[in-house]
Amino acid sequence: MNTLGLTAALTAFLTIWLGHVAVRKVEAEARDIRIPILTAILLGLLTEYFSLAAVNRQLSTSLGILGVTLLWDAFELHRQEKRVKHGHAPANPNNPRHAKILAEYSSATTLDLLKRDPVGHPVPPDEAPKLIHH
Amino acid sequence: MNPFGILIGIVTLLIIGLGFPLVIRGERYFGYWSWVYMMGIGILLVIASLFIQNDWLSVIVGVLGATFVWGSTELKEQAVRAELGWFPFNPNKIQLPFADVIKKWKAPHL
Repeated sequence: MNTLGLTAALTAFLTIWLGHVAVRKVEAEARDIRIPILTAILLGLLTEYFSLAAVNRQLSTSLGILGVTLLWDAFELHRQEKRVKHGHAPANPNNPRHAKILAEYSSATTLDLLKRDPVGHPVPPDEAPKLIHH
Repeated sequence: MNPFGILIGIVTLLIIGLGFPLVIRGERYFGYWSWVYMMGIGILLVIASLFIQNDWLSVIVGVLGATFVWGSTELKEQAVRAELGWFPFNPNKIQLPFADVIKKWKAPHL
């Protein structure tokens, strides 16, 4: 039995999940998006350094994967802001940065258009808000 | 210094990158109810990784499995994106076996 693949799989799955949730929450709350982006980059690089220093192969693998997902999360924070501008992710009107986006981009919305089940056919823009689960 | 972890991290990033077209194409051609098959393939890959003695190959197969399992949880949201016109909508999806039964189950989303 070689558990290294399982370690890598669990680390990848859990860090992708955590990053997926954290990116949405942090981007919605951060007043200055540059701070969490820089934090994620620094944490990612630091984690990669620890991965280099780790003698144990299981630990080195986990840290190596955690580090790249943190670096990817930094990029995702930037992409999430773009999604908010396009209305593909909900804007938080209580966040001054998002309030500015809502004022500048007509496509931006406070609605989470993805918060529903698929209906099996194309949905016109005026019908999409009615399908959202509240 | 042990570069194994960093190199594995880079390989993982590339494999996770494959997850994007996997979810987009999987939903487009087979529908979001293919999540059961995608999750099944993922779990089988992770189990298979346990029996691979070569560390590199074991990790690659394991991470590929994790990508399939994660992808299976993204299919439902991808179906909504296609319905909204953010991605091409395919009305003629290929019906995988037991699709009618699987459609009654709640698709996972994390």
